[in-house]
Amino acid sequence: MAKTTEITVWATGVVQDKEGRDVCLVLTEAAFSEGFFTQAFDNYVDLPDRINVQVRKYARISDAEIENKFEYENHRPNIIGVAEATIMKGINVCKGLQDGGYLIINSTKAPEDLLKYVPEKERKRLKAIACVDALGIAPEQLIDYSGAEGAEDVSAIGLGLGAAMAGAIAAVSGLVKKESVLGAAANRTAAKRGYDEVKIKVLK
Amino acid sequence: MAEQYKDKKEEILKETVKMTGYEDAGFDWKSEKRVGATKFLTGLGAVAHALKMADIDVASSYPIRPYTGAMMMLSQMAARGELDVEFVHGEGEHGQLGIAHGASAAGARAFTGSSGVGVMYAMEVYSPISGGRCPVQMLIGNRTLDPPGDFGSEHTDALSTRDQCWIMGWAHTPQEAFDNTLMYYRIGEDPRVYLPQMNCQDGYFITHIPMKVVVPTQEKVDKFLPPLSFPDALDPLNPLGHGPQLFPGQGHVLEATRVNAMMGAFPVIDEVVQSFNSIFETNYSPFVDLYRCEDAEYVLFISGGHAYTAKFAINHMREKGMKIGLVRPRFIRPWATDVLADILSKFKAIGVVETNNAFGAARQAGILTLEVATTLYQIPNKPVLTAFMGGLGGEVIRLDEFYYMGDVLAKAAKEGKTERTAYWIGFHNI
Repeated sequence: MAKTTEITVWATGVVQDKEGRDVCLVLTEAAFSEGFFTQAFDNYVDLPDRINVQVRKYARISDAEIENKFEYENHRPNIIGVAEATIMKGINVCKGLQDGGYLIINSTKAPEDLLKYVPEKERKRLKAIACVDALGIAPEQLIDYSGAEGAEDVSAIGLGLGAAMAGAIAAVSGLVKKESVLGAAANRTAAKRGYDEVKIKVLK
Repeated sequence: MAEQYKDKKEEILKETVKMTGYEDAGFDWKSEKRVGATKFLTGLGAVAHALKMADIDVASSYPIRPYTGAMMMLSQMAARGELDVEFVHGEGEHGQLGIAHGASAAGARAFTGSSGVGVMYAMEVYSPISGGRCPVQMLIGNRTLDPPGDFGSEHTDALSTRDQCWIMGWAHTPQEAFDNTLMYYRIGEDPRVYLPQMNCQDGYFITHIPMKVVVPTQEKVDKFLPPLSFPDALDPLNPLGHGPQLFPGQGHVLEATRVNAMMGAFPVIDEVVQSFNSIFETNYSPFVDLYRCEDAEYVLFISGGHAYTAKFAINHMREKGMKIGLVRPRFIRPWATDVLADILSKFKAIGVVETNNAFGAARQAGILTLEVATTLYQIPNKPVLTAFMGGLGGEVIRLDEFYYMGDVLAKAAKEGKTERTAYWIGFHNI
C-alpha cells in the first residue's frame, strides 16, 4: 500500500498566491530529489485574483505513483500550513486532518496561543502544532502571476516567505531532509532559518 | 476509407497490436528513452513550450478558464523576446478564430484556443477555416457548457464541433499534449491534408495538474516540423481570393475535396506518428493506444484524461484476475473506423466512458457511443456495448467507480447482454 502524505497550505489571494504555492513547490521538489513521487497544484475552484481572499495550495508526496492525481482537493491532509494566521479565526483550516497530523502557522505567537482556533475534534488529531515567524525571516512576498492558472512559474521558487514555511514544515514533520529543502529553495538562508527557528509544541 | 489508407491498413493494425500491453508514452516516464530536459509542466505549460519550439507566427487570444494559462505563457514569452510571435487579442472568440483564419490564410503558422462556452461562441468560424484549408491549430481546454457552467471538464464543447472538418484528438498526459501539438501541426500542414486541428485536453485534469514532461532539443523539433509552406497565401503584391460565394452547383465539389482531405489524413497521421517515434524515441501508436488488452475480454473505451486514472484501476482489477483492458482513441477526427472495428471485434463487452452528454441521441448516452456503435455495425459477432456516464460537470472519476464499471462489464461479457445502454456513475437508479 502506497504511503501518501498530503499537504494543504492556506494563503491569501494575490498577496501570498505565489508564496503559498512555493511552499508546496519547494517541498515537492525536495521530495522528488529524494526519489519520491510528487504532485504540487493549486485549488482549482479558489480564484487567486481576489486580494486577500483565502486560497489553498496542495502537495502530494508518495512512495509510489500517485493514483488520485486528478482529485481536486486534499480531503484528508496530513500536514496543514497556514501562511496567514488570521485565516484560522474564520475557517477551520484543519477540517479533514488525518490522525497524527501537523499544523504549521506563520506567526510570531507561541503555538499554545493559536491552539484555541483549532476546534476540539481536530485538536485531538494533532500530533504537533508549530509556529514560525516566516514573515520575519523572509519579509519578501513576491507577487508574480506567471505560475497561476496552470502556467509555468518563471520566477525563482522559494525566494521569500514560502521558503521559510517549507523549511519549518520539513523540520516539524520530518517529511523531507533538511538538505533537500535547502537545495530546493532559491532562498537557502530563509529555508534554513525556517527549519531551525520553528517553535514546536508536541501534543501527543 | 481513403484508397491510400486501405493499402496501409494491415500495417497500421500490426503496429497498433504490437503496442498491446505497453505503457504508452507519457504514462510511465521511467521506461521511456526520451532525451531532453525533464520539467514538471501542466498540459497548458507543455503546449506553450511546444508552440515556442514550433516557432508559431501568430497567436490570437481571448481569456476563458481553463485554457488561459497557455496564452499567459505565450504572451510572456513574446514579451521576453523568446518567441517572435504576432500576439493579437480578439474581441471575443468569434473574432479570435477570425484572426487565426486570416493569419493562416496569409501563410502564417497560427495558433488560437478556447474553452467551454468560448468554443461554442466561435462556432460559425470553424467551417470557413477548414473550408479554406487553413492549418490553424486550436487548443481546447475542455470545460462544461452552461449549465452546469462550472470550471470542470466535459468534452461536450469540443465534440460539438466534431463535424466541422477539423482534425481532433485528446491528450491524456501533459507529455502527450506537448507531443500532439507538434504532431498536429505537421499533420495539418501536410499538402495532402491542409486542415485545421483541435488539440484537446481535459480542463483541470490535464490543463492544471503538473506532471513530468521531457522537453526535447530544438534541433529535434526542427527536424520533425519543417516551416509551413502554404500555397496561394494571401499576398497584397499577388492578389487572389479565398472563400468566395459559390453557386449551388459548385458546392458539392468543395465538400468532396474537404472529405478527401480528411480521409487523406489517415496515411499522413501514420507517417507523422512513425516519424515522431523515430526522431523523439517514443512509442506512440498512430490511432489507438491499447493498455493491457493482450488477453482482455472486456474493455473500457476512453478518450482523454480519465484514461490516466483508468490505467491504475485496470492494474488493480488485473491483480484480482479480471480480464479488463483499455482502448484509447488518439484521434476522434478522423475516426479510424477499420482499425477500431478490428480491435473491438476481439472483445466480448465494451464500455464507453462518456464525459459528454448527447441529449436524446440513440441509446441516450454520449457522442462516442454513437461512433463506437456505428463502428461495430460492420462486425458480424458484435460485442455487448454499453456506456458509462461519468465525469460530468468535471467530476473526478475515482478508482472505485472504475471498479464498478469493471464489474458491470465482467457481468455483461459473461451473460452476453447488458441491462442498460447507459449507466450513470454515482446514480443507482438511472
